[in-house]
Amino acid sequence: MSAPLLEVRELWRSYPRVQAVRDLSFTLERGQITGFVGPNGAGKTTTMRIAATLDVPDRGDVFVEGTSVLVEPRAARARIGYMSDQFHPYPNLDVLEFLDFFARAQGLRGRQRLTTVRSVASFCGLLEFADRPATGLSKGMGQRLHLAKTMLHDPSLLILDEPASGLDPRARIEFRALLKELAAAGKGILISSHILPELGEMCDAVVVLERGRRVVSGTIAEIQKAVQHEQAVTMRVLGDADAAERFLLTWPGVGSLRRDGARFVFPFAGDETALGELLARAIAAGVRVVEFTRTEADLEDIFLQTTKGNLQ
Amino acid sequence: MTAADPIVSAATPPSTLPTEPTRWTLWSDRLNPILVREVLQSVKGRVFALTVFVALLVSVVIAVVTVNAYEPRGDAGRMAFNAGIATLMPLLIFVVPMQAYQSMRLELRGGIVEQLLLSRLVPRRILWGKLQAALVQFVLYVAVLAPLLATSYLLRGVDLPTILVSLLFALCACVAATAFAVSSAAQGVLPAMQPLANLATAAGLGLASFAFVGFAGSGAYTYSVGWLVRSNECTLTIVGIALATAAAVVLSLLVAQSFLLHAFENKSTGFRVFLFALPVVAFGWVLAFMPRSSHDEFLAVFGMSLLVVGIVFGQFMVTEQRELSPRLRAHVPKSRLASLVAAPFLPGRDRGMACLVLYLAWLGGLVAVLWPGTSSRWIGELLRSAGLCVPYAIVYLGLGRWLRGFLPSSVAGNHVARVLLPLAVVVFMILPALVDLMLRGDVRGWHVGHVMNPFWTIDVHNRAEAWSSVLPWAIGVSIGGLLLQVPAMVRGQAEVAAAAAVRRERARTA
Repeated sequence: MSAPLLEVRELWRSYPRVQAVRDLSFTLERGQITGFVGPNGAGKTTTMRIAATLDVPDRGDVFVEGTSVLVEPRAARARIGYMSDQFHPYPNLDVLEFLDFFARAQGLRGRQRLTTVRSVASFCGLLEFADRPATGLSKGMGQRLHLAKTMLHDPSLLILDEPASGLDPRARIEFRALLKELAAAGKGILISSHILPELGEMCDAVVVLERGRRVVSGTIAEIQKAVQHEQAVTMRVLGDADAAERFLLTWPGVGSLRRDGARFVFPFAGDETALGELLARAIAAGVRVVEFTRTEADLEDIFLQTTKGNLQ
Repeated sequence: MTAADPIVSAATPPSTLPTEPTRWTLWSDRLNPILVREVLQSVKGRVFALTVFVALLVSVVIAVVTVNAYEPRGDAGRMAFNAGIATLMPLLIFVVPMQAYQSMRLELRGGIVEQLLLSRLVPRRILWGKLQAALVQFVLYVAVLAPLLATSYLLRGVDLPTILVSLLFALCACVAATAFAVSSAAQGVLPAMQPLANLATAAGLGLASFAFVGFAGSGAYTYSVGWLVRSNECTLTIVGIALATAAAVVLSLLVAQSFLLHAFENKSTGFRVFLFALPVVAFGWVLAFMPRSSHDEFLAVFGMSLLVVGIVFGQFMVTEQRELSPRLRAHVPKSRLASLVAAPFLPGRDRGMACLVLYLAWLGGLVAVLWPGTSSRWIGELLRSAGLCVPYAIVYLGLGRWLRGFLPSSVAGNHVARVLLPLAVVVFMILPALVDLMLRGDVRGWHVGHVMNPFWTIDVHNRAEAWSSVLPWAIGVSIGGLLLQVPAMVRGQAEVAAAAAVRRERARTA
């Protein structure tokens, strides 16, 4: 069995008066996008920097395709593309010259360098900006350039720290599409972001951190299953809403009912059969149901349910 | 997907986007990427254009003034050369190093240097790239002022050797100043060091430029170089300055590299090897260029200086973290013999102590082997002072190693220990003086209470008449101090041996 693309193993890291990371372990597989979620100061950036060989832990280790970032940082670096949360391109270089410099720094030569720079710039939608000064790009294009630079050496693991912060909605959507394409090409992506709905849409798995400790991790479906003891149900009716409310209040399994005109939202303790039975009986009782949906917990719900909002 | 295999088919590129490698592209592949980028940025930047323009303007003004002041058999040519050198040197020892400094600071401030370190560029290549870029700028600035220097030659102001030696010294100054500037900028990795680095660089380079403009403007520089060129000491001075420049550059780059390397990389071996190489270079220069009659003086002065340098390096060596990092443990030499030889050069304060002891033996051994046998009175005093420095080095550095053990095992602990150790020396110097002051009302003379004050004690006991009484004590303290350090040195050695054994075992089972 091959080693996971990224394995964080019992990681500890402290700074003066702050325990940034405590006994953190998780894995990431090829082709997987894993969201790294937590309040400010939860230890996300510290963990990412250790994985990117830019910091060292007090204890524990991180392995990239089985290579320890502590024992073989140079070998690990060849497999990692790290996009930090800050990006300051060189002055007096245009987009293409900037990419060309980093391609040289990655050891690419001659035709291979030209081809790679062009294909990466094309992939990131930078070709039409090739002659623009790298310092004169918009935030969104700057992030694309940052990503392009991160991908030049074709790393198998991308570590992206808050890549979407400061981007407008359109740029976010485009950026998300880029990441999905990269994951489809077999890259593993570890991404941190504060924009949880967006992470929820693109991530296969999440690791939720609080005060340096992992509070929950796994695929979104697994976590939904684990944290969602009661499913939230939304029902909208036509006609006599009071009768519908009376019906729901008498039905076993229906939790605290919230009513907004003819729309009801309530937690329901029961499986899908019990939910079907509820709908059938409501219709049989003359309730004119026009909307009946079960709402699954999204990443925001998971985050709120699993973290306590403790900052450090 | 590989680097050669495009992620997506490229869209139609703009016309400026190259599709085929040009001759320049292929040729520039052999160059350091930092050099390529720095030159590109300089050429496109305003600072370079402005300084070239100003230099051209100044050289035109000097030429016009020279032509107006020209008289047959006058000194217009020399004046032109003085003015040309006074214009060139600030460019070489201020503008070029400050550009390298700013470039490094920008990379550190923007986190770009981290991105570079994640590439295949190791710190050494990044730093060499910056030095190479400085060399290119040196050539460009010299080219700008070359017509003026040529004119001064044609006007018979200076001869060709003087021009060439002046340019050689200018090159040495430019490279050393750039290395210093890059090293200062790299120390800005630590936020606390940034203001200090800014101040040291700006003040150091600025003062050096002002001083040199005055020196060259007065004509003293040309006169000195002209005298040197015609003297018998020309070769030894040029070689000496070149060696000193090389040592300064290597040391600056080692310092800069230590701030840029991954925390678990080996930051110590370079310094330790450099320390061991210094006596070879210095004594080699003495033997190769100095007359035999001066060997004793130079060996004594260099020996004493290198002892002090060793003690300063020793302070850093004995205040490091004790253990090898996981990375270094995994990379110690596999063979028993190689690991035994390499151990004192590997990081760790216990091994640092062993390295210091070996260095003292190495230095003492070289001086003893090369000593010509003759000595004057002051040389005798200098050698006795050096002899008395040894027990102090062992005692105080042993104390530093011991103190370091009480501090946190982090890098911050190293820094604290490096402040505490000199502080301890100062306290041991001041405390007995204060006691004297309180008990007797003044500090009359040396007594045994001042024995921990190395400067006073050595000054009092380095005379021939006191030597016989103090020598047994010096030897006894040195041996006693060494014996106390033996367990630590053995422990340091054992750690390397154990790591080597693990590597051998892994290789056997693999």
